[in-house]
Amino acid sequence: MRFMMLMIPKGYESAAPDAMPSAEAVAAMMRYNESLKKAGVLLALDGLHPPSTGARVTFPGGKPQVTDGPFSEVKEVLGGYWMIQVRSREEAIEWAKRCPASPNETIEIRQVQELADFPPDLQKAATGYAEMQPHARKAS
Amino acid sequence: MRFMIIVKSTPQSEAGDMPKQELLEAMGKFNEELVAAGIMLAGEGLQPSSKGAARVHFKGNKRTVVDGPFAEAKELVAGFWIWQCKSFEEALEWVKRCPNPHDEEGELEIRQIFELDDFGSELTPELRASEERLRTELESRQK
Repeated sequence: MRFMMLMIPKGYESAAPDAMPSAEAVAAMMRYNESLKKAGVLLALDGLHPPSTGARVTFPGGKPQVTDGPFSEVKEVLGGYWMIQVRSREEAIEWAKRCPASPNETIEIRQVQELADFPPDLQKAATGYAEMQPHARKAS
Repeated sequence: MRFMIIVKSTPQSEAGDMPKQELLEAMGKFNEELVAAGIMLAGEGLQPSSKGAARVHFKGNKRTVVDGPFAEAKELVAGFWIWQCKSFEEALEWVKRCPNPHDEEGELEIRQIFELDDFGSELTPELRASEERLRTELESRQK
């Protein structure tokens, strides 16, 4: 089963566009990333620039409407993610608990939808979807 | 430059309503265009937070686990893409062409991904080498 570990750092919603982690934090996180890789569970990972450099697109009445960041009304934002391949939700939680995270941070664990989760008629409509998922294709 | 396009959840997606065939077809067509243009690197949908979800809070050495579902129906991540674009504007143009991912009012968020060069001198040569090794190995596993 694939899970996403979503890193939600409190305060990142109002971080300056050039906000950077410290070298110690990066080094500690790299050791954690190495342990995920050594265990063969890591599929992908990325960090995101602060939302003050981002945008949100909404579709009121079906028409796109763009709002530039920062998003003042938002309580929490994504700072980065890991995609992991594990045997159970419990194993995913165990990995999240080992992360060298700070007191302002929360990791949300979410199971990834696989094509097999869809009923047959929807699977047919989604033909070609699997080929667009390099992580899923090799991991399953 | 790479961007993450975050599909925000809606009350329907959190309720576990599966997309209709019409939307899957429209989204499949959009994904085909993204792939043909060399934009799309990855994309996934996430189960609603009532299935296989938890949050781990960190405080000192303490870890507190809270099981899903989570109350913030419009603030959660329902899915995402990773795109390779020439500029923020290009990413924005593609997002505006995306079919509305839900049968109700929804939101997509565009966020730029950190590349190694963004970290400056804080990323020492040793850390950089170790990060590059990690990514090379992940890529080779997917081939």
